[in-house]
Amino acid sequence: MENKDVVIIGGGPAGLAAALELYKKGIHDIIILERENHLGGILRQCIHDGFGLSRFGKSLSGPEYAQAFIDEIEKNHIPYLTNATVLELTNDKQIYAMTREGLKLYQAKAVVLAMGCRERSRGALGIPGERPSGVFTAGTAQAYMNLYNRMPAKEVVILGSGDIGMIMARRLTLEGAHVQAVFEIMPHPSGLPRNIIQCLEDYDIPLYLSHTVTDIHGDSRLTGVTISQVDEHLKPIPGTEKEYTCDTLILSVGLIPDNLLSTDAGVTLDPHTKGAYVDEHFQTNIPGVFAAGNVLHVHDLVDFVSLEAEALADSAASYIRDGALPPCSLPIKTGNGVGHAIPQRISGTKDFKLSLRVRSHYRDCRILLRQNGEVIATKKMKKAIPAEMIQFTVKSEAIQEHGELEVSVE
Amino acid sequence: MKEAYDVIVIGAGVVGSAIARELSRYQLKTAVLEKNLDVCNETSGRNSAVVHGGFAYDEGTLKARFCVAGNQMMEQLSSELDFPFIRCGKVLVGNTDEDMKQLERTMAQGAKNGATGLELIDEERLHQLVPAVVGKFAMWSKTSGILDPFLFTVGLAENAHANGVSFFFDHQVTGISREPAGSDSSDFHYILHTAHGDFRTRWVVNAAGLGCKAISDMLGITGYRVVGSKGNYIILKKQMGALLPMPVYPVPSNTYMGIHVTPTVDGNVTVGPDADLVDDFSYYGVPQKNMDALAESASNLWPHIHKEDQIRNFSGILPKWVDENGVIQDFKIEVKDDIAPRAVNLVGIESPGLTGAVPIAQYAVGLIKEREALEENPDFNPIRKGITRFAACTREEQAKLIAENPDYSDIICQCEEITRAEILAAIHNPLGVSTMTGIKYRTRAMMGGCQSGFCQMKIEQLLEQELGKSETEICYSRKGSWILSGKLREEPSV
Amino acid sequence: MSENIIKKTYTCIICPNGCDIEAEIKDGEILSITGHTCPKGEAYVHQELTAPTRTIATSVLVLGGELPLASVRLTNPIPKDKIFPAMEEIKKLTLTAPVKEGTVVLEKVCGLDSDVIVTKNVQVK
Repeated sequence: MENKDVVIIGGGPAGLAAALELYKKGIHDIIILERENHLGGILRQCIHDGFGLSRFGKSLSGPEYAQAFIDEIEKNHIPYLTNATVLELTNDKQIYAMTREGLKLYQAKAVVLAMGCRERSRGALGIPGERPSGVFTAGTAQAYMNLYNRMPAKEVVILGSGDIGMIMARRLTLEGAHVQAVFEIMPHPSGLPRNIIQCLEDYDIPLYLSHTVTDIHGDSRLTGVTISQVDEHLKPIPGTEKEYTCDTLILSVGLIPDNLLSTDAGVTLDPHTKGAYVDEHFQTNIPGVFAAGNVLHVHDLVDFVSLEAEALADSAASYIRDGALPPCSLPIKTGNGVGHAIPQRISGTKDFKLSLRVRSHYRDCRILLRQNGEVIATKKMKKAIPAEMIQFTVKSEAIQEHGELEVSVE
Repeated sequence: MKEAYDVIVIGAGVVGSAIARELSRYQLKTAVLEKNLDVCNETSGRNSAVVHGGFAYDEGTLKARFCVAGNQMMEQLSSELDFPFIRCGKVLVGNTDEDMKQLERTMAQGAKNGATGLELIDEERLHQLVPAVVGKFAMWSKTSGILDPFLFTVGLAENAHANGVSFFFDHQVTGISREPAGSDSSDFHYILHTAHGDFRTRWVVNAAGLGCKAISDMLGITGYRVVGSKGNYIILKKQMGALLPMPVYPVPSNTYMGIHVTPTVDGNVTVGPDADLVDDFSYYGVPQKNMDALAESASNLWPHIHKEDQIRNFSGILPKWVDENGVIQDFKIEVKDDIAPRAVNLVGIESPGLTGAVPIAQYAVGLIKEREALEENPDFNPIRKGITRFAACTREEQAKLIAENPDYSDIICQCEEITRAEILAAIHNPLGVSTMTGIKYRTRAMMGGCQSGFCQMKIEQLLEQELGKSETEICYSRKGSWILSGKLREEPSV
Repeated sequence: MSENIIKKTYTCIICPNGCDIEAEIKDGEILSITGHTCPKGEAYVHQELTAPTRTIATSVLVLGGELPLASVRLTNPIPKDKIFPAMEEIKKLTLTAPVKEGTVVLEKVCGLDSDVIVTKNVQVK
């Protein structure tokens, strides 16, 4: 068994940023465990640009954004293992990992959960119909194309207007596939407005809101899908069925934090985020186990993942030095119009950054944080949409010693 | 013209594979022709995977006889063929007086059939066995169990293959003709026609399952009426199996077992089946309304069925032999010496065909033995070893596996912890199967929470590399189920 | 003459904020712009009105590498109607490992003021 100050599970943007920041704070006894054979996580297949605008002030591709962090890791000789899969995390912070050198067991003072997220699959949606080949999640199609030099499609229909789905619409078009349309079950797009313009409109790919796939055809390769309009309860409207002939259905229907390891260790998850309940230190219900990035809640931009992981590192460094962090007993609840909020508990003695997503589209709205019925922080927004994460800092002076907090939109 | 065989079995479902294995006990040149690209692609793999107790069938039927016999030999088969089988028992749950009467009738019928371990239990005992189940009393069948139907079939087929049987996939029999054998004009061989050429054989075994009527007609044995009973299922995620120690059934009617909830050997839960009569035996689509109805109906038995825990759906079709009034008949296993000599004809092999596969096979081979002396195969070895599951090993065993074979240290499927060593073993399976689902069902790779999102690319690449195939040749499951249309960038030809 | 004034809405794609910008246009000239939150938004609308440009990212074949492809992008946006011609140029390229991030693999694609640069390191296999 090896002892480590920190074991970081996952070498994607969250894990890399946490490692670098911990290192800067003087914590050098670190190991990053990455299951793939390169650091960088999902950024390696996100070859489009648009990353790093807030962090680096310029638009980079995913691999470049990752490489900027990897270069720093290498320069500082921060230890990492690739091809290292964590098989088990225990609640006393032991980590079993499968590595190229065999099974390893670590005892960590602190654990950073940075496993990222995975895509919702066809099964999770419960789409009826047959089970032919040719139904891919957007990320799988992206990996085939950008990492493996393989083309998965000719005639394409896309379900879900998530950012990866729209980016894949453009990517497939550039590589010679024909993307017929994107269908979104919600009455509003789920990805960013810029991607609707530069990935769909630029290539004359129509986006149909309030539509979904209601049947899948083909006993070998996909031969087509049935599309139906949905009502305000998202239920298909009989009589609106339309057939589309295609060989590929790309799903971009949401991301889910990848918490298989966390739950086995006893980490409690928030049913809204599907990530851990954390306090303002990004500490889960298990002392010394921290979570940040997409494993905690799905972010819109990688720049915010990096920032969150750095904030985590700040707290994790204190935890390692002091053995504990100030207690956080004030819960934050979600109120009207708010889908989820991070953190879910605060101390009230420190400024903290609140991250949240709204449930639907708002114009000229205010995000209100109340405690004991009193508004203690406000953020005015010209527009607020579910596709974007909203963040603002709450000052400790405004927070009372007791009483639950609630965040809502008005 | 291909080589001549003593026996050709049509169909590599569980029954065809079991027959192939029984035949391999004798000195016979045997082949199996299968229209799909793998074994167990139709009814055999699309069911509740329950090993039945034998109480649900009328006294004196082949269904009752083979079910009881198959149930009793399952431990031995599981140890010989290395497939997962758990004798977990099952309960038939009732609430009304009418239910109680039906259960008492079922108990009595079971006793006549030779089914053992049947007991009527009260609500308290029921809740000790299965917490949260909804019901006032139950019949507990202690000998019922669950198995992995795919690995059961693979075990039978691989063992048959190891003992000398040839398997031909993508070989659909499109016609059967006869050809005179030698100078004696009364003797003949069967010629089986396929798109890949003709096969000559002395004996034919029709184990075509859903295709039994078509093959029977080709043999000249006409007049059977076979209807399809389609059952839809939903599958719940792995964690749910921990809440369900054994299958929970409602009280059955005389013809239909009812929608039940069943743990799988891997810890998932299946919910189903309903029963729709269908003419199209190739359409496995699961309609929305059936999915909704399944969840609603089964929730009356067991309260843990939630949409967010649903990971897949599937359906299966049972071929049922019915009379002119539509009444479901027993299994038919026959040799019509007058019409089609040396042809073993199996019609209407539905449930309990999985439980009874080996007794069915023994009976079918017995029909050959009644007509022809068979010499034992002195080299027959009943033992088949499956792929060692890394995830099922202790940490010490895992360390040992890695020391022996470094490919065990490379995890390809993260969700199910399936290693490169297991994937390679599956790719180089003895039967020569090369589909993605072939790998999936042999290893459980791609069956976890991400449903292949992270690992299917790696497995597809391994298939290409190991088999020397191009990306366009790799199939997902059935013939024509291509995954990739080509490369983005072609290497310049040298 | 107000009938010649066209009101047009743009969603700025320069950054993820995606500002909704409203412009009043007369005879191809912008009279007023509202809704943008930074000067880039104004520049974007001008560009969209006169000569819309976009950037692309794709991949180039690598021989002898641990990966079959190196990802690439353009250094500057190019006119929208040059996207597919540029793709055709890029598809013809072949690199040999090792390939280093930042390497220019094609200067002035289609004669435009934009180079194709590698965005991912690819080691020798």
